[in-house]
Amino acid sequence: MALSCLTRALRSLTLSKPALLSSQAPVAQLKLGTLVSSTISQCRGFLTTASLKQNRTYWKQRDKYTTRPMGMKKTGGRDHTGRIRTRGIGGGHKQKYRWVDFQRLRYEPNKEGQPFEEKVVEVRYDPCRSADIALIAGGNRKRWIIATEKMQAGDIIKTSGVIGRMAVSANEGDAYPLGALPVGTLVNNLEVQPGKGSQYIRAAGTSGVLLRKVNGTAIVQLPSKQQVQVLETCIVTVGRVSNIDHNKRIIGKAGRNRWLGIRPSSGLWKRKGGWAGRKIKPLPPMKSFINLPLISTI
Amino acid sequence: MIPKATVSLFSPNIFLNASKLSAHGALSPQTRRNLRVSHCLAAKVPPPKKPREKVEIPGLEMVTYGDRMHYVPGLAKPVYPPWEMSFKDPRYYRSPPAQEMALYKDKPCYVFNQRTSILEGVRQAAWLTKTHVNPGLLPHLISLAAKPENQLPDQDERVQNAIKHARFWDTTEPRPRKEKYSNALLLNLLHLCASLQPTHPAVGRRILAENYSLAATWKRGEDLFQIRGQNGLLHCSMDPLPQICGEQEVLETSDRVLESFYPVSPTIDLQQVSVYKEEMNYTGFRGEYPYPHAHTLYFLETSDPNCQLRPEQFRAKMIMFTFGNALARAHKLYGVRPHSLLECPITVQAVGTNGRIFQFLVFQLNTTDLSGDDGIKNQAWLDEDVELYDFAKVRPFIKRKEVKVPAGLAGYKPETFGKFLALYLHGAV
Repeated sequence: MALSCLTRALRSLTLSKPALLSSQAPVAQLKLGTLVSSTISQCRGFLTTASLKQNRTYWKQRDKYTTRPMGMKKTGGRDHTGRIRTRGIGGGHKQKYRWVDFQRLRYEPNKEGQPFEEKVVEVRYDPCRSADIALIAGGNRKRWIIATEKMQAGDIIKTSGVIGRMAVSANEGDAYPLGALPVGTLVNNLEVQPGKGSQYIRAAGTSGVLLRKVNGTAIVQLPSKQQVQVLETCIVTVGRVSNIDHNKRIIGKAGRNRWLGIRPSSGLWKRKGGWAGRKIKPLPPMKSFINLPLISTI
Repeated sequence: MIPKATVSLFSPNIFLNASKLSAHGALSPQTRRNLRVSHCLAAKVPPPKKPREKVEIPGLEMVTYGDRMHYVPGLAKPVYPPWEMSFKDPRYYRSPPAQEMALYKDKPCYVFNQRTSILEGVRQAAWLTKTHVNPGLLPHLISLAAKPENQLPDQDERVQNAIKHARFWDTTEPRPRKEKYSNALLLNLLHLCASLQPTHPAVGRRILAENYSLAATWKRGEDLFQIRGQNGLLHCSMDPLPQICGEQEVLETSDRVLESFYPVSPTIDLQQVSVYKEEMNYTGFRGEYPYPHAHTLYFLETSDPNCQLRPEQFRAKMIMFTFGNALARAHKLYGVRPHSLLECPITVQAVGTNGRIFQFLVFQLNTTDLSGDDGIKNQAWLDEDVELYDFAKVRPFIKRKEVKVPAGLAGYKPETFGKFLALYLHGAV
């Protein structure tokens, strides 16, 4: 394909009129007028440099789930053009990525629909996130999940997708739909669309609160005090996320920050604008992730 | 789901004449030569892009430029049937997908091979083989080595020399590597035991065998299990091992209950295959082999970084392969039909080591009826983590200018070699 581009470009170059002196222009024009054929092909310019796509995230492309840690390529805050998009990221210790399964209610191939139990094999540190991760084994498979506060090796945790009439008294680490839990439970790993996988409340020590349940939906307060309305079939885990003393740690020296991959900010004094300083404002309105049916205007 | 060697999805080797060829002799689809870029060719390849989906409208005849023999803008691309070679060439053979293979079956089979590391260790191995595991070896076996006529002259000194040879003297580098010294130690100890042949002639009716492939099949509940693989060094003999444990205790095992480990399924970590041969039983040797009875298996820790087995998983592997050898022998002697009690239970021994710590196992196969959880069970006696010596340091371990552990061999324990010798002489005394 590169060869065809090249030949097309060179063909177009030969057919275009060469640059001539003004005195010879009318003579040359008459001469060349006959030679120039009507098929001057349009040629798009082609690149002679290497591929411009700098960040090839091919290390992430994997279809089959595995618990084996995968080697990771750091981006250094650069995007696909190669320029820094987020400042202050770069360097740091090498990390291997452990693929965490955020969709807690994932049935095994032949056992759809029934609540199942799994056993915690080990709880360990994950370099890629602030929380600890737990290796759980159930049936024929093993997977990594975000560990909750008091999870230990040997515990048995339950995952269920059934919403009963009465609220379940949930143990820490179990996963239930929001509609099955009593109001006021501390929850984490919230998913906003059923089956999508958890996207909220995953950081160390965080927990959300189930505020109320309103016909078919549930309202949860996130750690930032914002309230969110989601369908009651969304799965959450009960309890606080592990590693609760994460915010109390002291970095101690600049080198430790560099080990974490945080580059220093620019040391220059810069005049701060209206964005800086403490702001006291009311809570934003409740965010709703339910697609309500459209009311026709007839 | 064909059992395949690990061919990674992103093959780094893109050169056409490189050795990254698949087992069938053809180039695998991942090795593509990329002429468009000038970057380093050892990076990961992007996954192949899926072409645009072509919509087929039935009844609509596509006018193609196939007849004109050159591209014409506006006409469709002609679709030709895929060309296949008229003869069979092993260099360009593509194997069919799993569903079309001759041996494909709907019901999967769970295979245990030499690289499997099962989650629950010895408990899972005991459930899979319907075994009751007893801690510690039987006393009458250990007392075999206590008799003076069964001991070597200058036994302790010779064993210590063997350890020193394996750990210190067997190399030109400062220190030999673990695979090397564990292998050397095992062979030295076997050589020492074999020097008893003049006084014990039955020892001469045995031979060592390496790299033999084992296969055994059995049914447990509704699932089919197989053991396949090359496990290690086998000491095989012309005479079978005597029965370790009496009839009464064998019948008593039917009262014991196997440990279950809910919610983990017993088939976890086993390789699932859909293409397999049923009733695959192979002791490793064809026809009338003069040494048909498996006497002892010797397991060493592999140096493969992908399958590092922890001590628990290592013992589980020992149990599984010992059972596999016994079962293959039982199937050959008594047929494939399950027998709830064998007239003559088959005994096989196993020794596993990492160069310092030994694991001793004696396995007795009482039954081949493994489908239910009740009934007579097989028995195993497992002696875990027996150290031969404490330290064998090339350089002394000094902490705060004090020598904590001196250089050389320290903490030699003679009882361990006694057990090794007892297992060796069992059946020859």
